[in-house]
Amino acid sequence: MSEVVLKLENLTKKFGNFTAVKGINLEVRRGETIGLVGPNGAGKTTTIKMIAKILRPNSGRILIRTNHTELEDLQHVPSTITQIGFLIDIPAFYNMTAYQLLRYFANLTNYPRDKIDIRINELLKLFKLTEWKHEKVKNFSKGMTQKLGIIQALIHDPEIIILDEPQTGLDPLARVEIRRHIRELQSQGKTVFVASHMLYEISEVCDKIALINYGSIIGFDTVDNLALILKTSELNCVLLKPLKPSELEPLLNRLTERLNVYLDQNLDPMISKIPIKYYPEQQGLKIYYDGKNESKGEILKILIKEFESDFTVISYAQPKTSQLERVYAEMVKNNISNKGDV
Amino acid sequence: METRKDTLTGIKPIIYTIVFEIKKQKRKFYFFIVITILIAFLLGYILQLIPSNLLADSQLDYFSNSLQLISYLTLFSACLFFSGIICSEFNKKTGFIVFPKINKYKLIIGKYLGNLILVITIITIYYCLLALLGFYYYGGPINPLIFYSYGVAILYIIALSSFVTFFSSFMRSVNLTIILTLIILFMGFSIADQIVVLVFKDNFEPLYSLAYLGTLITGILNDPFPDPRYIELTFGGQGGPFGGSVEFTFGQWLTPAIGMGITLLILYLIGFFILAAILFKRRQL
Repeated sequence: MSEVVLKLENLTKKFGNFTAVKGINLEVRRGETIGLVGPNGAGKTTTIKMIAKILRPNSGRILIRTNHTELEDLQHVPSTITQIGFLIDIPAFYNMTAYQLLRYFANLTNYPRDKIDIRINELLKLFKLTEWKHEKVKNFSKGMTQKLGIIQALIHDPEIIILDEPQTGLDPLARVEIRRHIRELQSQGKTVFVASHMLYEISEVCDKIALINYGSIIGFDTVDNLALILKTSELNCVLLKPLKPSELEPLLNRLTERLNVYLDQNLDPMISKIPIKYYPEQQGLKIYYDGKNESKGEILKILIKEFESDFTVISYAQPKTSQLERVYAEMVKNNISNKGDV
Repeated sequence: METRKDTLTGIKPIIYTIVFEIKKQKRKFYFFIVITILIAFLLGYILQLIPSNLLADSQLDYFSNSLQLISYLTLFSACLFFSGIICSEFNKKTGFIVFPKINKYKLIIGKYLGNLILVITIITIYYCLLALLGFYYYGGPINPLIFYSYGVAILYIIALSSFVTFFSSFMRSVNLTIILTLIILFMGFSIADQIVVLVFKDNFEPLYSLAYLGTLITGILNDPFPDPRYIELTFGGQGGPFGGSVEFTFGQWLTPAIGMGITLLILYLIGFFILAAILFKRRQL
């Protein structure tokens, strides 16, 4: 297991009577990609601002593994943290050219002077902004400004990259690009911490998810482990050929009967009224089962072997986003009811 | 993790910020340079070409006359260069990008020094042009009092900049800071000074007023230095609308004493810097 590079201990931040962050505990290990997920106002940005030393916590502490080998209290680290690259909020820049800005930022973070130009060119090329190198940022589109925001976080080649809502204001294509860049950082062994309210963006790139609500972490684990709290899991199977409408009902009945022991017996009608559904457009079956891995295995075995004459399963998937959405909803519900109990 | 020298130690980040700030304010600087050269030539050269406008008797008087607009130039430049120094980081949210990269006090010090270099350059150019024109009209040597005046002008611009920086530390927007500081510096102090003189006459010198302290820039050129520094001017005439003679007496403080003026300017700049630092520390993005 890799070493912890960033640790939040009982971190609390209050604004007057309002507690934005309540005793957060979190450990980030080297090379991990962590997602901090929560609705607007949940405390994501406040947490990141405290890590960036923009806000001072009321209590608790932030530990960081600096150049020295031990974890150090951020308050005792005398300066800005050059090991971390930050993108906080929607980036706003001084009205200078991209090159002037990036050179200044690289200088501030003590990046080797003789390598600054190479680094700037490399990142501008990576984010397809080379042609805009000597343009003033006021001429940049929102997406380009966001990309420049990510570049400035990476300019000094930090070990840890903290991105707050990196996909905000981006079109779908640009979002795909940002995800690709995050994956690239992962492949370079960087530690990435992404805060977002967009579950899909997070579930696609993160190893672990920290769910935050009303300033508290209500869950922190891999998506699969978080999903264990769900009584219902979803399995999507894509079929080779569409099912004939005339045969659909008897087939679904047979399926339900055969898979009954593995299906969710108390399926929440809010999720679905029936445990097996056919989607003609996707040419696929959606099966709500009891969430056990053994059940999933059995279901797939039965579908492939026993229904071979009816259809052919060509692929199956467990959609992480909807799973995460449900995990999140479940945890928020538990969080609220626990508060109610107290 | 890669070993890198901590950026807080040393003054490198401040130097980078100074250079960056100078580049950032380049256009504003060029604009002020043009204005400065125009004013210097208008007051120091063009006006002397008008036949009815006689050339001053001495080099010192010439300098004194030509420096009449210096306080306006310093006021405008201070307001325009320093008003955004702190509040823009919060208002425009550029702080989110720069605060994690540089200690925020170093950032402000760097920005402040960068702007100060530009403003001092503007004032220096003005004085250099005046010195050249003074030499052109009256020959050498240049009266050394002009250097004292230059010194006071520099001190005055530093005090003004600390005053504007103080406002920038708590105001929300750059434009509001410019407007407010211009109103206070141009009108606020002048009105307060008039009222104080009207009420207290020579019993109370308006040493609180930056505008009054600024008169030392030209006051120091007087040889001998004015004594008394408070004068009363009487205006009167026969046969007003109600008949009889009418007289008005206006009191005026000419200039603060040199030692006192310089001390107060230094106190001003220290005091406002401390206040700005306290407010800046408390301000959160």
